[in-house]
Formats: sequence, structure tokens, C-alpha cells
Amino acid sequence: MDKKTGTPREVSLFIPRSYLTTEGNKTGSWRFLRPRYEEKTAPCSAACPAAEDIGRIEMLTTQGLFKDAWEAILRENPFPGVCGRVCFHPCEGACNRGEFDEAIAIHVIERFLANTAHRNAFAPGVEQRAPKKQTVAVIGAGPAGLSAAYFLTLLGYRTDVFEGASEPGGVLRWGIPSYRLPRAVLEEEVRRIEETGVRIQTGKTLEQRDLDTLAKEYDALFLACGHGRPVALGIPGEELEGVEDGLSFLREIREGRMSKLSGRIAIIGGGNAAIDVARSIIRLGGKALIIYRRRRQDMPAFGEEIEMAIDEGVELRELRAPVSIRKDGGDLVLEVRPMKVAGTDADGRARVEPNEETTEEIRVDRLFTAIGERAGETWYEPPDAGPGVLRLDHCVMQQKSGNIFVYGGDLTNGIKSVAHAVASGKEAAMALDSTFTEGIESVQPRLAACRAGAGPALSMEIYMQGPRSDRSPHVVTYDEINADYFQFDPRVKQPRLLREERAHTFGEVTLKISANLAIREAERCFNCGLCNQCDNCYLFCPDLAVKKDSGTMGRHIDYDYCKGCGICAVECPRNALILEEEDDYEKGH
Amino acid sequence: MKKVIEGSQAVAEAVRLARVSVISAYPITPQTHIVETLSDFCSDGSLDARFLKVESEHSALAALIGAATSGVRTFTATSSQGLALMHELLHWTSGARLPIVMAEVNRALGPGWNIWTDQTDSLAQRDTGWIQLYCEDGQETLDTTIQAFSLAERVNLPVMVVLDAFFLSHTYEPVDIPEQEAVDRFLPSFTPRFQLDTNNPCAFGSLVTPDAYMEMRRSIAEGMEAALDLLPEIEERFAGIFDRRWAATEAVQCDDAEIILVTSGTVTSTCRELISDLREKGEKVGLLKIKLFRPFPVEAIRRILAPARKVAVIDRNFSFGASGIFAQEIRAALCNTRGHPPVFGFIAGIGGRDITKDVLEGIYRQTQMSDNPEREDIWIGLKEVQNAAERS
Repeated sequence: MDKKTGTPREVSLFIPRSYLTTEGNKTGSWRFLRPRYEEKTAPCSAACPAAEDIGRIEMLTTQGLFKDAWEAILRENPFPGVCGRVCFHPCEGACNRGEFDEAIAIHVIERFLANTAHRNAFAPGVEQRAPKKQTVAVIGAGPAGLSAAYFLTLLGYRTDVFEGASEPGGVLRWGIPSYRLPRAVLEEEVRRIEETGVRIQTGKTLEQRDLDTLAKEYDALFLACGHGRPVALGIPGEELEGVEDGLSFLREIREGRMSKLSGRIAIIGGGNAAIDVARSIIRLGGKALIIYRRRRQDMPAFGEEIEMAIDEGVELRELRAPVSIRKDGGDLVLEVRPMKVAGTDADGRARVEPNEETTEEIRVDRLFTAIGERAGETWYEPPDAGPGVLRLDHCVMQQKSGNIFVYGGDLTNGIKSVAHAVASGKEAAMALDSTFTEGIESVQPRLAACRAGAGPALSMEIYMQGPRSDRSPHVVTYDEINADYFQFDPRVKQPRLLREERAHTFGEVTLKISANLAIREAERCFNCGLCNQCDNCYLFCPDLAVKKDSGTMGRHIDYDYCKGCGICAVECPRNALILEEEDDYEKGH
Repeated sequence: MKKVIEGSQAVAEAVRLARVSVISAYPITPQTHIVETLSDFCSDGSLDARFLKVESEHSALAALIGAATSGVRTFTATSSQGLALMHELLHWTSGARLPIVMAEVNRALGPGWNIWTDQTDSLAQRDTGWIQLYCEDGQETLDTTIQAFSLAERVNLPVMVVLDAFFLSHTYEPVDIPEQEAVDRFLPSFTPRFQLDTNNPCAFGSLVTPDAYMEMRRSIAEGMEAALDLLPEIEERFAGIFDRRWAATEAVQCDDAEIILVTSGTVTSTCRELISDLREKGEKVGLLKIKLFRPFPVEAIRRILAPARKVAVIDRNFSFGASGIFAQEIRAALCNTRGHPPVFGFIAGIGGRDITKDVLEGIYRQTQMSDNPEREDIWIGLKEVQNAAERS
């Protein structure tokens, strides 16, 4: 109160306050570092042989845009349903989230998207180019041949596929058991490939002389005949009755010629085929014993497959090399030599040598070999280096009297997986398109320009100049992720049939997951290098210099006011921003 | 309604009753119970406020500066190193004339690491332009916190409500918690004199040249002076509703006292007992409790202390190279008065060491026996120590 007047007195309040706009103060002139939106390459997409745009696929999945996510796969791989099941998912090994808690279950989401597309009968809207005059013949309707035909058709070339077997699919149809890959899934994906315009002729076993005829009719040939012939053990007794080749056994099952088994059956080998044979034996009522000359961790079979086989009751005898087989009454007696680890091979697996001179005997009822395969005919094999021969990562090209022969698939791939077969078909399609449009000299530079990251994975979307071609090939590392923005969250567990159920059925072992679980799993994805509109840059910018717009990034930086503090780049959880020194910094300041 | 609660909870109850809109704090012992209780209030709906969790005390106060500029009632609490970390923004708050209220639990500064009571943390902030009120018990803490909002908003300056670690913050006492309706009558909703307004955009805190800066500082000083006048008015209004009265200074039996002991905080309660014992023995001793440290109530102190023959100030704090801080301020207040009594400065209870009635009586007797202080700071109860170098 004022002592004289008795009224409340205003306390002195003199503060700095300005009603002038601060827009005249262009703080951008202070800048010596310039932030810039730059999408980069996620490590998963660089590790995927098919260069699937996984970071974006997961992002679209979180938004419930399942069709768009599925189409993003189809731009790079015609087999999402197959690869969601049987791919060994190197993407997950490269996942940055693995350094945080657990890698994203990418293959589970891929399979979910394929299921969802099937259930809703999505019609894919993938870019297909105008028809071209050249035509291509593909020999072999395995994953490599079908992929080549699919991508060539997208690029506008009429493509015919010739297959010796009664149905297309190759190893997917005849080699992989249905508990891993149901027939309907393969048929659906083959049908979709055919819908793009690919023509498949089955029951057409070709001889070497047929190539000349085809060469007259078509501008190019893609040979992806695969491995059809088993590699022999090379030990005495291999020819005995009861000693059979595992691939033929798998093929018989897939042809529907299954019979109950009993007794103890040995499988020699450590690859996926050996595991497939063993697990099939269990399902038919037999006891399976895998004999492998190295250790479990050295087996080329996928870890998860080995784990499930052992879970189902397959017995594994490690460090045993087969010496001979003989008959004893109704039994087969396999003589094996115990081995020991003696150093490491170039590929990181254990090198083994005999542990002792003595051998052991293993008594079994039947025996399957599954130690590898080779080309069915010598003319399937690609030529060695020579005039007109161009070796690519997944193919070998040869120019022959105005014609182009491309060899691909398992016969040219170091790693024999479905994803690598897709990569081979894709590379062949790109190489042929480059040759047709710009000549064979353009093949290598054009391929080099469409790698995901450092390669060798090739992106068809980049090749076709899609939005993905704007990205930097820099592969985002875990150090570049701002992990403060993520919380620990366990990886989704894919449901499986109970072990008891698995023992009696060739029905699919792994089960599908719900849309809720798929979205939740996809939300775990860092989306390395990709802007998912999280708005951190917008919220943190102290100068309100991040402006929203309707462009592809949905935002831009107002350089009149951006003073280059770099907060946006630091707070970007996924490294979709880059901070660069201003070009004129040296001379201007 | 009377409840047995901690001093910390008394602060929280007052903040709830004051209907604060934004709280931002970073936990630090011994303050944590205050913001824990408030976060419970926010989550159970008994207080409709935004509770901002931040990464440091610096950010806590920065967040409140933003919130208070938008014209809402705000609160934070801290202690010791946390207050030290806020230092820059303490200046900013008063310079921006924002009526933020803070509970400051006195805790010693490290190292040596010590969580017990010591006033040096808050007294070291004496020049930041914050009003400082030192409380003696739970009831005074609750009432003072409610009054603090009223005072801060009248003078547009921030207020620090200061309480001793553990002796007050963690001690359970019966405290009367007033009805919301009564508090609403005492403390209506906040009407700011300025605020951020998107319809009338302006910038606060911009560059000020030598041409105007001095006047701005003077305006803050005038706000502080106004607080001295307004506090009794607020106390009066508070007493009218709640029938409880506190004061910037309280003189206990000082009129005929030959020696006056000067205290602040919880040690005052102990001293009250000593005075009563000594008076029964016929000793002419009085007690001056100083509650308001900023603005420093110079006139009242001069009036109360002038008749005494000696003054003994008990400081639970220390300014290195000088003396106890209350003693400094009292000496400064008296030095321009004619024939003022000598001021004995005693340092006691630093870092949470207990100040018992015996300690206080020792101080009284020492003052009684000396004609003049031998030195400006007399440390009570020091033990023999071994120098670090002697250990090796």
C-alpha cells in the first residue's frame, strides 16, 4: 500500500522487451557448418544380396502401408514369400539394432507382408517399362532363371523360360522340404511372375545343340541350370544298396512319393540339404544321424535349421570322416575316422585332420549322402576367362557371334542361396539391358552405379532411377545412430509348431504373426539413414529454420536463419542429416 | 487439518495448494522428497500441473524461465551443488523479473562430499536478486511457501524458501494443512504483468546498452525494497485468514537484553529453549531470529540490536577469507549507527554437525566473558586434525 494514499502501489518493472521482428537478423550469416538432409544406406539393405530396401520396408510397415511395403520388396525381389521363409537373412546379421539389443526380425516381417498380400489379393503396382524389341530365352526355372525373367520383363523385354522338369521352381520346388516352404507359396509367386508377362515352358529338357536354335530366335540367352548331380563320397561301398543320394530322396518326397521309414538312418554332410534330409527322415518315422567331418559351428547349414533339427531329435556326430561302407546282414556298417581340429581354414571354419589311426563303426539301416552337388551337364558350366567373356559378381557374360550368353545361378555364385540366385538373375537383367541400350562396355559402370552401399548387392530401383537413387551409398554404422531415442524392446518370437506336432507332419514349422506384432517389430527398426518424419530436427532447431514442405523429404532447412549449430544432425536418431563445412568458409571468413 | 508430515512434504502441500501450473526439477538429496511428493500429486490428479523431468538443475530452471515468461505460476526445488549449477540462471530469473518460487534445502557443498545441513549454498547466491526466506519448522515452511508466491508475484522477483537439510526437510512434525478454499482466497490465480503472447509477439531479454542497463538494475533494487514493505502486508492478510503470523525478523525478549543471540533456520528452536532457561536464572539474554535475508531487513535489525551490550551471531555457513555471512551482514547494518554493540561471530554446525543447547550456552558464556571479539570468526567445537601431507 502506498503509505499516503492507501492504494496498492505498482512495483517498478523495467525490463528489456522488443516488439521489432527478429526476422531481419539473418543468423544464417553466422554459419560455417551446413546441415543438409541426406538419406543414406541401411546396413541391412547393403547386406541383402537382393538389396531389398529394408529400412523403408520396415518404415512403411509401421505405418500400416502393407501393400507399399510389399511392393518395395517386389522392386528388388520377386520372391518375398519364399525369402521370408528360407532366406538365411544376412540382413539381420548386419542390423545395427543387434548392437543395441537384438536385430530386427526382418525375415518374419517379410513373410508377414507376403501373407498379407496373398490374403488381400493385392495387385502389385511395380513400374514396368515400355516393350523393347529384343527378346531373351532363360534356361532353367529356378530362382535365378525366374528372377532374370521377371526383371527382364519389368525392363520391357519379352522373355521365355524353358524348364526341363514338370513344374517351375527348381530347388525351391524339388529340393526344399514343404515344412520349410509350402508348395502353395511358391506357386503363388511363380504365378505373379507369369502375370508380368513371363512365359514358362515346362517339360522342355534341352540338349546342347538346342542352344544354337535358341540363339537364332532370341537376342540373348540366360543359362541358370543349377546343380543337379550329387557329388560322390569317393569311398569304398558307396555303390551298395541302401546308400542313396539325399537330393533324390528330397525330390521323391516333393513329388509326393513318400513312404514310412523305420530304423536308424545316417546322413553324411553338413549343409542345408543334409539337415533337410535328416528332418524329413524324422517326419517319416525314422531315426536320423548326421555324420560330419568338422564341428557343428563349421557346418554350412543355417544355424537355426541345425538347432531345429536337433530339437526334433536328429542326432549329430561331429568330427567323424567316412572311410568305408560295408554290408553286414541287413545293416550297413559305416566306418568313420575320428578327426581333430588343426587350425583354421581360409573361410574361418576349422581345419581337421585324423585324431588317431583307429576307426569307429556306425551301424545303420540306410545311408544318405549330401555333401554337395555339381552341374548336371558340362555345357551348363560358364566359360573360363577368354575373349568376349566378362565376369561379373553373380554372372558370367559371353558374346558369341552377335549373341549374348549369360551364365548365372548356383553355377556362378559363391554362396548358393535363394537370395544370391535372385541377385544373379537381377544382375543378368541389368547387364543385358545395359548391353542392349548402350553396348557391353557400359555394363560394369552401370552396375557399379546401382549398388546398395559398397555392394555387391544391386538395386533395380536405383538402376531404374527411382527415388532410392538419391541416397548416399554410405552405410550407416551403429555409432552414427543416436541410441538415446530408442528403448530396449525384445525381438518378436516367431511362433512354431510344437515339436511333437513337427514329428508327424510336413506342414509348415514356422507360423505367421499378427499385423500388430509385425508393426511392433517394424517399430523397433532404427530406419538407419532414412527420414521417418520423427520431427526431432523440427522440434530441436533453436532458430525455427526447419520448414515443412510438400517435397519428398517433407521438410527443408531455411539457410537464411540456420546458423549451423548442428543440433538437428546430432538429434537425428537415424543419421538422415549430414553436417558439412561451408564451401566458402575458408575464403569468406 | 493437522497431519504429521516432513518439512519436505509441507513444501509440497503448499505448492499443491498454490495451484502451480509448471514444475521442473532434478532430484538431489535432501530435496528429493519435495519433488517426489509433487510428482505423486501430479500423477494422482490432486495437482493439475505439468511436471517436467529434465537432465540437470540448469535445465530445470531454464525450463521454468520459459514457462514463467508465458505467464503461469511455477515452482522448482534444489539443494547444494544443484543450486550452484543454476547460478547463471538465478541471475537471469531476477533480471527477467520472473516470479519463480524455489524450495532450497540447505546442504553442504563438496568436497568433502556431505549431504547434511549448511547454509553456504544459498548464502553464496545472495547477489543473484532472489528473495530469501529461512524457515524454522514445518508449519512455517508450509505457510512461507504459500506466501512466497504472493510476494514473488507482487514484486516480480523470484523467491527462495530455504530449509535446513534433515533437521527440517526430513523431520516429521504436526503441520496444519489449510483448506484449498482458504488458500484460494489468500492466493488467487496469477495475473502476470507481462507474458509471451502469440497475438502480440515480442522478444524478452534482448541486448541493453549502457544507456538503459543501470535503470533496469535499479528497478530490480526497487522491487527488492518493495518486498520489505510488502512482506508485512502479506503476513497480515495471511494471519487474517489462517490466524498464523511469521515475520521477517522476530525478537524474543530483546527489549532489556544485554546479550542478543542471532540465529536463522532450525537452530532458532534450540535457542528459544536456551533463552527460556537462562531467563529463569535471571540472565538478561534475548534472541533475534532472522527469516528474511534478502532483502536484508536492516532497519528492523538496527532497532532490535541497538540497546544490547553485545551481539552473538551464530552462522551455520562460512565465507572463506572473511567470516560468517550473517555476521558480516549484521556488522554492515550496524556500522553506520552510533555506539552500536560489538558483534561476535560464531561458526557452528557446519556440514550438519549438531548445535545443541550446550553449544549455544557455550557461545553465550564466551560472549559474556569477552569484552570484545578477539577475531571476526570464532569456530566452535573444532577437533585436532592431521594434515594430509603428514600421512605419507
